[in-house]
Amino acid sequence: MTLAERLAAYLTRTSGQPTTVENLARIAGGASRETYRFDALVGGERHGRILRRDPPGSLIDTDRRVEFLAIRSFAGRGVAAPEALLVEQEGAELERPFFIMGRVDGGAAASPFDPDPYGAHAGAIGERFFEIMGAIAAEPLDGLPILEAATRVAPEDCWRRELDYWSGVVEADEQHPQPIVRAAIRRLSRRPPPPPAKLAVVHGDLRSGNFLHDGAGRILAVLDWEMAHLGDPLEDVAWAMDPLWSHPGDPRISGMVARDEALAIWRSASGLAIDPAALAWWSLFASVKAQAIWISSAKAWRDGGLAEPILAFSGWYTARRQDEILADRLVAMDAP
Amino acid sequence: MTPSLPDILRGFAVALNTPLPPEALGDYTAGRAGILTLLALLAAQEAERGIAARLWENGAIRSLFSAAAVSAYDGALGGRLATAVSGADDEASWTALDLANADLRRLLIALHEAVEDQRDGALNREILALYARMAKARRLELPGAMGG
Repeated sequence: MTLAERLAAYLTRTSGQPTTVENLARIAGGASRETYRFDALVGGERHGRILRRDPPGSLIDTDRRVEFLAIRSFAGRGVAAPEALLVEQEGAELERPFFIMGRVDGGAAASPFDPDPYGAHAGAIGERFFEIMGAIAAEPLDGLPILEAATRVAPEDCWRRELDYWSGVVEADEQHPQPIVRAAIRRLSRRPPPPPAKLAVVHGDLRSGNFLHDGAGRILAVLDWEMAHLGDPLEDVAWAMDPLWSHPGDPRISGMVARDEALAIWRSASGLAIDPAALAWWSLFASVKAQAIWISSAKAWRDGGLAEPILAFSGWYTARRQDEILADRLVAMDAP
Repeated sequence: MTPSLPDILRGFAVALNTPLPPEALGDYTAGRAGILTLLALLAAQEAERGIAARLWENGAIRSLFSAAAVSAYDGALGGRLATAVSGADDEASWTALDLANADLRRLLIALHEAVEDQRDGALNREILALYARMAKARRLELPGAMGG
């Protein structure tokens, strides 16, 4: 059976209604999970859907149920989360774990290779982007679906849990000694940040390229919630501001708005203050986490028989750029 | 540093000979071709500069060991540093240079940890400056206006 036929069989079984699948097509990008768009035809009606399926070897070892429940936590709460519909931990007819979301049509994600992805609408997109980030930070945790699956953490332990996890990834996946990221890990470990002003849902990968926009200044959907967790909301702020997502020489955050403006928008939307020491810690951490992902990319590429070029690109070009960012950060932090 | 240029070239062969299912044709295949094109252009840069960057980095690490560290660190670490200083890159192949580089980087990590334990600020700054130079020496430039 083809993937489309298996998907139709699954939808027919679980909905109790005959369902056919049309226009199934894999979407480029999304190295951590295979992502497909398709139309589900049920009772004469056509529904746009997205399938996110675990790859044979996963780049980021995350629980798709947490991702699914994170999306569900924010659907209808003004942060452009798509509709979370079905999750299968065991894989069922599709053999590997997956979940299905409603599809948001009419938008595009920015290419990381486009030096000015938002053009004349950069300011409007930036304002909305940091408003959304602030709204996620402001959301009270009580009653959110993500609490069913996300690991609880004490506020004072947010940094330690994240640093332990990502330094463990470096330790496990490093295939050539990496002195720069290891120096950054030691520095983070020696000088912990203050605890967060508020424990919040952290998207974990909220940046340019991970949302759909309509080309006219509106954000239609926030994507890629696979690294969502509970933690310090400054983690999202720092991640979005990593220089990796900005083009060299462009002072704007990801080609959107200037740093100070971004921080002001986030403060206003979240109602939270920003401790400069905490933001500095999470900024170095963001570069460590990113490098851990690129190190894993190189390993996943090798383990997967060198077949997936995006993993080679991430583990090679992107890892080298991240090393420059990390080294420059370390030099600047150590300057008298 | 992985992947090495020979790895990248082997990856081309694998990617170009991997059949894709029908649902992967279209956007996914176009995106994949774009990435392969970028990798080819980056591979050309690495073919031009990669050996020189590795030779430079290995020499720079040995030089740091020689100039700043040997006299200050006794015992096992001092002995390892002295041995590394006397090493040389006799064979300029990708594999030989990467193997030597891995040994030197492991020792650099051990030295840096010792420097941090001893709060040797001057040598710490020297090591951090070397990291910045090492990263820049291995830089790959995306073609045209591309950043990333």
